[in-house]
Amino acid sequence: MTSQTTQTDPIILEMRSITKEFPGVKALDNVSLRVKAGEIHAICGENGAGKSTLMKVLSGVYPYGSYDGDIVYQGQVQQFRDIRASEHAGIVIIHQELALIPELSIMENIFLGNEPTKRGVIDWAEARLRSLDLLARVGLRDDPDTPIKEIGVGKQQLVEIAKALNKSVKILILDEPTAALNESDSQHLLDLMLGLKAKGITSIIISHKLNEIEQIADSITIIRDGKSIETLDVKADGVDEDRIIKGMVGRTLESRFPDHTPKIGEVFFEVKDWTVGHPQIQDRLVCKNSSFFVRRGEIVGFAGLMGAGRTELARSVFGRSYGHFVSGQIYINGKEVTLKSVHQAIDAGLGYVTEDRKSLGLNLLDDIKTTTVSANLEKISKRSVVDTNQEFAVAEQYRRSLRTKAPSVQEGVAKLSGGNQQKVVLAKWMFTDPDLLILDEPTRGIDVGAKYEIYGIIQELANQGKGVIVISSELPELLGLSDRIYTIFEGAITGVLNKEEASQESLMKLMTSTTRKVA
Amino acid sequence: MRMFGKAGKAAAVAAIAALALTGCGRSEPSNSGGGASGGAGGFPQDSAIGVALPKKTSENWVLAEKLFNDGLSSAGFKPTVQFANNGVAEQQNQISAMIAKGAKVVIVGALDGSQLGTQLKQAKDAGATVIAYDRLLLNTENVDYYVAYDNFKVGQLQGQALLDGMKAKKPSGPYNVELLAGSPDDANAKVFFDGAMSVLKAKIDDGTLKVLSGQTTFEKAVTQDWKAENAQRRMDTILTGSYGTESLDGVLSPNDTLARAVLTSVKAAGKPLPVVTGQDSEVESVKSILAGEQYSTINKDTRKLVEHAITMVKDLQAGKKPEVNDDKSYNNGNKVVPAYLLEPVIVTAANVKTAYKGDPVLEPIIK
Amino acid sequence: MNALKKLFGGDTRQFGMIFALVALIVLFQWLTGGITLTPGNVINLFNGNSYILILAIGMVLVIIAGHIDLSVGSVAAFVGMMVAITMRDWNLPWYLAILLGLGLGAVIGAWQGWWTAYVGIPAFIVTLAGMLIFRGAQQFVGQSNSIPVPREFQYIGAGYLPEVGPDTGFNNLTLLLGLAGVAFVVFSEVRRRRMAKALGAEVSETWVSILRLVLICGAILYATYLFATGRPGTSFPIPGLILAVLVLIYGFISSKTVVGRHVYAVGGNRHAAELSGVKSKKINFLVMMNMSIIAGLAGMIFVARSTSAGPSDGTGWELDAIAAVFIGGAAVTGGVGTVIGSIVGGLVMAVLNNGLQLLSVGADWQSMIKGLVLLVAVAIDVYNKSQGRASIIGLMMKNFNRPSSGPGTPLQPDEVTSTRETISREA
Repeated sequence: MTSQTTQTDPIILEMRSITKEFPGVKALDNVSLRVKAGEIHAICGENGAGKSTLMKVLSGVYPYGSYDGDIVYQGQVQQFRDIRASEHAGIVIIHQELALIPELSIMENIFLGNEPTKRGVIDWAEARLRSLDLLARVGLRDDPDTPIKEIGVGKQQLVEIAKALNKSVKILILDEPTAALNESDSQHLLDLMLGLKAKGITSIIISHKLNEIEQIADSITIIRDGKSIETLDVKADGVDEDRIIKGMVGRTLESRFPDHTPKIGEVFFEVKDWTVGHPQIQDRLVCKNSSFFVRRGEIVGFAGLMGAGRTELARSVFGRSYGHFVSGQIYINGKEVTLKSVHQAIDAGLGYVTEDRKSLGLNLLDDIKTTTVSANLEKISKRSVVDTNQEFAVAEQYRRSLRTKAPSVQEGVAKLSGGNQQKVVLAKWMFTDPDLLILDEPTRGIDVGAKYEIYGIIQELANQGKGVIVISSELPELLGLSDRIYTIFEGAITGVLNKEEASQESLMKLMTSTTRKVA
Repeated sequence: MRMFGKAGKAAAVAAIAALALTGCGRSEPSNSGGGASGGAGGFPQDSAIGVALPKKTSENWVLAEKLFNDGLSSAGFKPTVQFANNGVAEQQNQISAMIAKGAKVVIVGALDGSQLGTQLKQAKDAGATVIAYDRLLLNTENVDYYVAYDNFKVGQLQGQALLDGMKAKKPSGPYNVELLAGSPDDANAKVFFDGAMSVLKAKIDDGTLKVLSGQTTFEKAVTQDWKAENAQRRMDTILTGSYGTESLDGVLSPNDTLARAVLTSVKAAGKPLPVVTGQDSEVESVKSILAGEQYSTINKDTRKLVEHAITMVKDLQAGKKPEVNDDKSYNNGNKVVPAYLLEPVIVTAANVKTAYKGDPVLEPIIK
Repeated sequence: MNALKKLFGGDTRQFGMIFALVALIVLFQWLTGGITLTPGNVINLFNGNSYILILAIGMVLVIIAGHIDLSVGSVAAFVGMMVAITMRDWNLPWYLAILLGLGLGAVIGAWQGWWTAYVGIPAFIVTLAGMLIFRGAQQFVGQSNSIPVPREFQYIGAGYLPEVGPDTGFNNLTLLLGLAGVAFVVFSEVRRRRMAKALGAEVSETWVSILRLVLICGAILYATYLFATGRPGTSFPIPGLILAVLVLIYGFISSKTVVGRHVYAVGGNRHAAELSGVKSKKINFLVMMNMSIIAGLAGMIFVARSTSAGPSDGTGWELDAIAAVFIGGAAVTGGVGTVIGSIVGGLVMAVLNNGLQLLSVGADWQSMIKGLVLLVAVAIDVYNKSQGRASIIGLMMKNFNRPSSGPGTPLQPDEVTSTRETISREA
């Protein structure tokens, strides 16, 4: 697009005083961003700080004219009308939700909308050659004809990058690229980014995982409440995680976990020899002879890699809401119980906060009060008629006690930030007054300040004598919160460690199996 | 109405009660005009006249719409002519709307003659005169006149034409024929069929006519909604099912649209064309007769029918009793409806040149 | 404009529809030279559309639950035909025939509900099959004939309230109904305010409540006046009365009962609902079954009004009902919609039909106009959602809105950012 590329100018992209308003809200207020050619530039900020909006302005999702300020790219002011225009200029954004078509092959996805043609007919031979080359560059060794749905999220991410490389990308924007990836896939992706950097490609990364940012970023721009706060040079300024957090929340966090002295009672919940089959694939087990117990007032952690079977175990215990039941027993207060439906599980005193808030945990069309009472409508109903006054009162009470930030309980849950949504979900389960609450990734996608509050809520529940199970991919979180941690590998429980004996290393060893069949 | 707050409820009730009490007395139901005797007093020359027609499925109905509009307007009336393309419910609402507009006469070409009882009563209660046009209105006492072509006669003419046509091609039987009837929700469909069967039944019984599909009753021969596609589909099935080797000599078709559907079906099957009857003198079918494909049609000149319906309206306006020529035959289940019947004319290649003299649409074609 | 918004609560979508309805009525009243709002015509309006509005009540629940029912026209026709036949051939008294019709609707609904909920076949397919099955069944049992129904039965589709009591110049029972309606509205508003105050929730200003009551009660009273002053012998029509009762019942069920909540939950996010202990299969079953019962009722009312059951009854009804529901603000994806909204949507269509008929506009043009209205109504909704605005009314009020319309308390920083996040996510 620009003929007079000035290689001498180290600044490839500058966004000057970007202001973007939505009716009633200033999403971006005078934000500036300077990205040097060939660097990895991280953008940090709490959820809702305006990071994604800024990237949408850059990539033309919000066209020129809908915002104030200038985008200067390769020395020229740009006026992107849509994504095609920005892509044409070499700015490619890879969104959190991957834009791949599951039924099409890797190759077809890479060339979607950009098919190599010979006299109007797609030249598949050419496409295949080029895709093999692109896949090699991103380190993916799969056959280009493999359908997207058959490869994991980590590899899909790589396909997206290959697709971007095919468009001769100059600036690659990655929005939360590792949010859904496991440790090794994440590491592979980070290495790839460093590799691309070596080849002169500039990257902008948005991430909540501060350790990753610390690892790869050259500079960091921090955005808070729609304003750009500061830009840090990682090496020169000696930036560490605490420094970034300070910028993001505007204060230093003394401790990431509230103080808590456990009051642990006797065992009241026990699962024995729990075996569950895969819902679709016959003869494949997702839980194998798993046994565990929870004591009153105890926070029990479940550690395991993605796909190890943590969620499957939790959901199958919770009224057999996943997979098909094969064998096993559940004892509550020493008595064997059969929980065949979610309804029965709730009646027996179980609660389960799902891992995927938006697709499994919330009805985004509901407001706070309807959500709060939705798992225990009977409690506020007389002869099946809901007492809406009581509903309001209950929701209001939880809004206050959990300090959910919302103008009123009539606010739609879709309008809340991740942390406040999670508080509403917690309120919903607290209202069922469970004896055992299972929390699956309770702080995923939640910013630092809200995490702290949610930890406090979890500890408060334990103090009330309830049992809590926390499933998490973040080992520091498990270590900080749990009294005892079970490790899971390939559907089986491989060990249990007390708080004192657990460390990241000891857990990781058990999470990757005692027998180590697979690397 | 400035009474809300605490005593709002009571105040509202009181206010309405007061309103109710001051209202003028509710008059007893009067025997408002109209009645079977037929508009004794007449009505103003510029009155609204409603014409409710069925679906816009054939040229004749489109022509009727234009003729009614022109004829009634030039006589000084305010006509509302509407088609019920979306079914009975729409026609019901249209008639209701006509009455709301104060129509003095409602002319109804019913989609289903037995499903308009409530609206006809409404018309009667509002003092309007109801004329059944082309199709009789059934199971109601609220219909005053019936104006139509003699449909039983139409059927007889069709049946006779079928026999004559086949005889001309092949002097002696047996003949293979198939029977088509019209839509079951149109009261005339059965009349056509019965008329035709009054001629054909004896010949079927004595073996002169053979119906290879075995479908000889009205229920089996019906064509839902008078739709060509339905007739064609049925003929396709019959041709493959029963006429693999046999030849088909004749088809009784109740109207031209269906007749042409039959011819299309037979052509597609690669069979020699049978003798096919018709009705309505549609342009395409008159061309088809001239080309020697369709055998016959019936000339029921829509202009004459509309003309007579308008004459009836004029008589009613003037306070006269409209002319009828049959006050015995048409019992609709509740009463015998006085009727004025027009004579249909059979048209074949033999008389097609002379039959449409003076018809602005068809005369140019036969030249 | 802000005042108007307050008047009708936060639901600007619903307000928009009511606004459109009133505008449409005023427009036609003007175009038809005052015929639209005559007693005879409003009675026609209710008589001629009540069965579609009744279907819309069932349909909105089906659509909220995330399904669709294409079979309602055929089911209505089949039930109507069976009821007509049993009364003619078995001499069944009319009240038993109605019970039989409802029972038959329930059986058909159980059949469709079973396939949808327990076998897991999409309702679109199940009811497409049902559309063919019950159309055929109807023509089979009716032999494609029209079958008349007795006079007593016709009452439910074409009847009026009797004239009782002193001669007030009005139909007394209609008056009483109107008064009861006003009393109910006033009473519930007063109760609502008292409760809200007791709970410490936001209470609208007194003048807002009063103005709202004046408007609503005024509308009720005007309608009462129209219905009560029709030709002697007419009143608020029986089908309209049945409709009103159903609106009250289903409005209550959908908003105030556990089952109603569960319908919204299943439609909004089935997985989340199941993981909250909702028996989604049971809900789907009930919703589909209910639809067929209502379809049966609508079929009987239509047959009663038509004085006989005919072979082409019910054709296209499913589409009219679905259109009403979508104009009334329901979402194709489920989880959104209200009973009252669907009734308003249905009334918009009905007034449009009636007005165009009064203006002698042909069926061809009517069809085109209605199609465009449906498209435009939903398009405005979709457009405004994509713009992050609530609705067309939001658009109209853009310049009148203060940046934050929160109640007094200044917004916390996090609240601002959360709104922002939502907007950027939605866009």
